[in-house]
Amino acid sequence: MADRDPLRYFRIEAAELVDQISAGVLDLDQQPGTEVVARLLRYAHTLKGAARVVKQPEIAERAHAFEEVLVPHRDDDAPLPADEMRELLRLNDEIAGRVAALNQSQDPEAIVRGSPAPQPQVPPPTPPEPAALPAHEPEPAAPPEKPGPSERPSGSAAASDGGTPPERAPTADLDELLDAIGEATSRIAPLREGSRTLAGIHRRVETLGDRLRTGRVAVSDTVARSSVQRLAADLGALGRRLIDAVDQVERELDEVRGRAEGLRLVPAGTIFTALRRAVRDAADAEGKRVRFHTTGADVRMGPQLLNQVSGAFLHVVRNAVVHGIEPAEQRVAAGKPAEGSVTVQVKRRGRWAEFRCTDDGRGFDLAALRRTAQDRGLLSPGAAPDPRTLIDLVLRGGISTSPSVTDVAGRGIGMDVARDVADQLGGTVSIDNRPGQGATVQLVVPLTLLSMNGLLVETGEHTVTMPLDAVRRCVRLTPEETAAAMDTGRLAHEGRVVPFLPLCRALRQDAELTGTGVAIVLTADRETAAIGVDRLAGTTTLVARPLPDLAPAAPVIGSVSIDLDGNPRLVLDPHGLIAEARQVGPKSAGAAADTDQRQLPILVVDDSLTTRMLERSILESAGYEVDLAASGEEGLERARAREYGLILTDIDMPGIDGFTFVAETRADPRLAHVPAILVSSRASAEDRRRGNEVGASAYVVKGEFNQEELLAHIRRLILR
Amino acid sequence: MTKPMAKAISRRDRLRADFDRSFAEPVRSHDTEHVELLVIRAGGRPYAISLSQTSGLHPDRPVTPLPGPQPALLGLAGFAGQVVPVYDLAALLGHPVGERPRWLVLAAGTPALGLAFHDLDGHVRVANADIVREADDSGATGSVRGMVELPGGVRPIIDVPATRATVHALTGHDRSNDEEAAR
Repeated sequence: MADRDPLRYFRIEAAELVDQISAGVLDLDQQPGTEVVARLLRYAHTLKGAARVVKQPEIAERAHAFEEVLVPHRDDDAPLPADEMRELLRLNDEIAGRVAALNQSQDPEAIVRGSPAPQPQVPPPTPPEPAALPAHEPEPAAPPEKPGPSERPSGSAAASDGGTPPERAPTADLDELLDAIGEATSRIAPLREGSRTLAGIHRRVETLGDRLRTGRVAVSDTVARSSVQRLAADLGALGRRLIDAVDQVERELDEVRGRAEGLRLVPAGTIFTALRRAVRDAADAEGKRVRFHTTGADVRMGPQLLNQVSGAFLHVVRNAVVHGIEPAEQRVAAGKPAEGSVTVQVKRRGRWAEFRCTDDGRGFDLAALRRTAQDRGLLSPGAAPDPRTLIDLVLRGGISTSPSVTDVAGRGIGMDVARDVADQLGGTVSIDNRPGQGATVQLVVPLTLLSMNGLLVETGEHTVTMPLDAVRRCVRLTPEETAAAMDTGRLAHEGRVVPFLPLCRALRQDAELTGTGVAIVLTADRETAAIGVDRLAGTTTLVARPLPDLAPAAPVIGSVSIDLDGNPRLVLDPHGLIAEARQVGPKSAGAAADTDQRQLPILVVDDSLTTRMLERSILESAGYEVDLAASGEEGLERARAREYGLILTDIDMPGIDGFTFVAETRADPRLAHVPAILVSSRASAEDRRRGNEVGASAYVVKGEFNQEELLAHIRRLILR
Repeated sequence: MTKPMAKAISRRDRLRADFDRSFAEPVRSHDTEHVELLVIRAGGRPYAISLSQTSGLHPDRPVTPLPGPQPALLGLAGFAGQVVPVYDLAALLGHPVGERPRWLVLAAGTPALGLAFHDLDGHVRVANADIVREADDSGATGSVRGMVELPGGVRPIIDVPATRATVHALTGHDRSNDEEAAR
């Protein structure tokens, strides 16, 4: 049916042109110039022609009107008059709306409202065409790029669900993918060559076999022997060539797969046009001049996530203009440039994406915040809360629910949306307020799918991936240097000493780093550390995904990718590695590793000497180290003084009883992770229920005391 | 092509499809009086697992070790692009952890979970009546629910939902989102 659809190609072309026009109009607004005008005229003209061909007069007329506005400014470097600028934006919106409508009418399943999020409070100055935000148009021409089911947020993403995310593989990515495919294909040639060689060897073997059968070899055994020797040499060489070729093909295919997966992700820059437009519209409505900057357009992430963040940030940037940036005269009086500035920065930090919106306006009005909070009973009248507390109130939505729309409340609504998005995506939102200087709103969300370049490193029998953007350099280590680094936990690098962590230790492997190795110098959060590995195995493009549920991992593991054989490959977290390298430190390096590998001791709490001794003998004969406490109070004291792998406690004791003891350990953040088993002569269901309620990991009845059962519980619960 | 011929071909195709499908379909109990059990060994001890509570049996699956706080977590395995955590059944049952298990079953339900064990002794179909259940299931803890008498002795039956609940508890997985664990 698509073949007979006369608009099929027009839809694709028009969507591209609308994107280019939308971005161009905003460029013209900020940096007027003949070059931009010429570009816009070209796009509008192309669109007009194409629209006429497919009999879309409404689009053609508007493209024509758009040209009419621009033509007088063809040779004019000066900014356009405000009314003409507004007219261009209006036409742009109308064209975008009509092109979007074409796409919607074509595919009933693709009917989506382009509006990425509810936008209650700021009425757009242009006709109500929410579907016109160019970055959110449905894109029927790109079904293969639709996000896979795995990356859709599983939670209730209702707030912004339905907005088709900005997704269009930029040509450069496709070019790179095609290059990678070409490279992989070219690696097939040696394999073909090898199969020809193999056929030749086969023929020679058959000839030799024939001669052996017919007895003609007798002529000379040496001929046969040398013939066999040549065959063996040729076979050996062929084998090596084939292994090399297969290795290379595999590497190239890995690259192809990584790049293809990367196409499912979109660059953050795709939301910038919509944000820039929101800033422009808000500034226009408020009569302010605001310059909009962006960084991090190349950071790639899942389209769904980007769409949700975009919805929240539309409010955030709008608020920055409306409530943050002061009128020009106030700014000048305060010694600031008349033109305000709003900057959106996108950054990837490990498995998190960080979106920041910084303005150089007046910051949050703390006095007004305090008044509103007190009016609403959120603060006691006499209280003098510090600025942080007040800002936190904004984030918690305590103030924004105010029915009267004040400046403060207006700002709060945007914060609510940002906070909702952060909650939905499992991220956080924070505000850095600089009264009189401006404010920064920061939204940090975990990335579900993330394209990155990785360095493949080998340690012991394992191959893991190090995100390449954290790697500063790699240094070869001689066996002596390796030994010294292992002993001291330090490495001299470029004139300073950095912590050294062998990866095998970070991954809790049995093997140790010996002989020659490689130190990978990492930097994250301005901290540096060196990670020791056996060898480097090349670089790769990969798509990292979060660790699955039910798979708690050490902080040194950031995410996981799938290798060519379909097996998971771990992706390291530079922040986690650096933190661990710094924590382990030089002296305790060996000790820390020992603790990991050795069992932690068990604490037995019981007022009965007999029970204490009985439990101690059972546990010690099973190889555990045991400490004893004769009361709950003593137990708490000991538990806080030493790290235990497990606590066994009686229920009936003088002083605090076992239930209370367990409840107190659960409430203490330092002890909450240590499992506790209740051992008691009480056998009622009610006691079991209470035990469960206070957080005991298991309940063993003394009467039916069974060593095996107890040990089974312990093995299940304790760290090896 | 003649009509009878076409008919014969379509009949042949149908029979072939039926035949293939009978193999492609997962084995399941076709009646309520029998239960399909996998007869296994975990940590050197005999057990049985109800086949209907699993969604796949795999030998020798590569498992990428994942360092972390759970000793019973062997690591991660890949299944058709999905990354699945694999737990050692023996460790979950409290047995000493020995060599790496060779087999794994995928537990039915979500989130994805693989349970690994050492040996597969076979696959049996037993009458419901041959399964000895505990008098009162409500107070039951651990992963075992009931026993079955088989040639070679009585075997405890590992209940997959209960085992899943154990894993959820160990990892602090939010049960409110999960029906199986909310039992």
